Amino acid sequence: MSDETLMEAVKNGNLQQASVLFDRYNKRIFNFLARMTMDRDLAEDLTQNVFLRIIKYRGSYREGMRFQSWIYQVARNVFSDHYQVAKNKTSGFVDVEKMSESIMDSYESQEQDEREKLLHKSLAMLNDEQRELLVLTRFQQMKYEEVATIMDTSVANIKVKVHRAIQKLREHYFQLERI
Amino acid sequence: MNMDQEKLSGMIIDYIDGKLNEADKQLIEQELVKNAEAYKLYEQLKELIQVMDQSKKIEPSEKLKQKFDAFLQAEIDLEQKSKTVFFTPAWYRAAAAVALLVVGGGVGYWISQQNQQHAELLALQKEMKETRRLVLAQMNNDQSASQRMLGVMAAYESVQTDRPDDEIVDALVTTMNTDGNSNVRLAAIEALSKFTEEEKVRKALVQSLSAQKDPVVQIALIQLLVQMKEKEAVKSFERIIDDEQSLPAVKDEAHAGIFKLS
Repeated sequence: MSDETLMEAVKNGNLQQASVLFDRYNKRIFNFLARMTMDRDLAEDLTQNVFLRIIKYRGSYREGMRFQSWIYQVARNVFSDHYQVAKNKTSGFVDVEKMSESIMDSYESQEQDEREKLLHKSLAMLNDEQRELLVLTRFQQMKYEEVATIMDTSVANIKVKVHRAIQKLREHYFQLERI
Repeated sequence: MNMDQEKLSGMIIDYIDGKLNEADKQLIEQELVKNAEAYKLYEQLKELIQVMDQSKKIEPSEKLKQKFDAFLQAEIDLEQKSKTVFFTPAWYRAAAAVALLVVGGGVGYWISQQNQQHAELLALQKEMKETRRLVLAQMNNDQSASQRMLGVMAAYESVQTDRPDDEIVDALVTTMNTDGNSNVRLAAIEALSKFTEEEKVRKALVQSLSAQKDPVVQIALIQLLVQMKEKEAVKSFERIIDDEQSLPAVKDEAHAGIFKLS
């Protein structure tokens, strides 16, 4: 059954179907939020919140809307709500060293491990929008079209921004590598 | 070929991703051969993209699924409860007959007792009126927060849990919502916590949450509502979470509240 059919069923009162959607999406949403917050525990709480909203506000799901776009929109809102009050840029407050250890499991190869750490440090140096674009397009392998729908902008605009974000990430990454 | 850095890196990224058409692909390959800078850029971007692509997925803990299942079950129960008809027709008739008997007996008893109790009641009412006047006057003292605090505490002492006095409850609600002093508002909330059996008080407490701006008062209210297991409060908690003005600590309390209530 498609995500959309399942969500329609949830909307019409068959709440049990929400657990299928949870199984399909919880890891992706958790990964998205973990990379955005750089904090595992917080990401779990926020993921829980995303599904809570999906169920509570099931009435606001519009027929014909792609479920994946909708759930990511909810996830973005949950994320920005969390940080809006303090208006803090996450990156400014993240203890990158601690974050890298807490967010990652151990890797088989030492080299990949080192590169991963470097990647997380460089990601933390990007602004929220750039980090989000990379998380969606590279870590979650989402198509530009899909990201454009979620962010309500054009594909061309997303493409330019993703390229700039990668370029920026490259600068940080190779700068850090030299240290 | 003259290409600015941004366009070049954009094309190299597309080249690495295999998204270029044949003509552009050849263009970039030529550029990589003759331009050492471009080749370095290519190597770096390739490494970076590889690290991103190979980056491992992070696994959420078991707790996530457990919490979700618990929440979903609660939501399903809630949905079913609102649909369940409590009495089947036969039960309904029997219950109605019993209720009629009880009410009839009660009314008879009440009439016989009323005359006897009338005198006692009058005396008691007079005393209560006097206490009430004093308490209300004290709560309205706009000069002194400590006087108002004493008023709230007196109100707390004077009212019996099983028979809350409407006027005093109303005054406490007003104090909780409008008093300029956070400590007085907190005391009013504590006093009202005695009457959480009352629908009216429960409603007032839920509503008050959106009026409170002081984080200490917000947190006290959230904790009380959670303790009361007041499901209606969930919407107010969500509003707090959505409100830009709320402090993170308050939002966290509201999040925790939603989980405990759901």
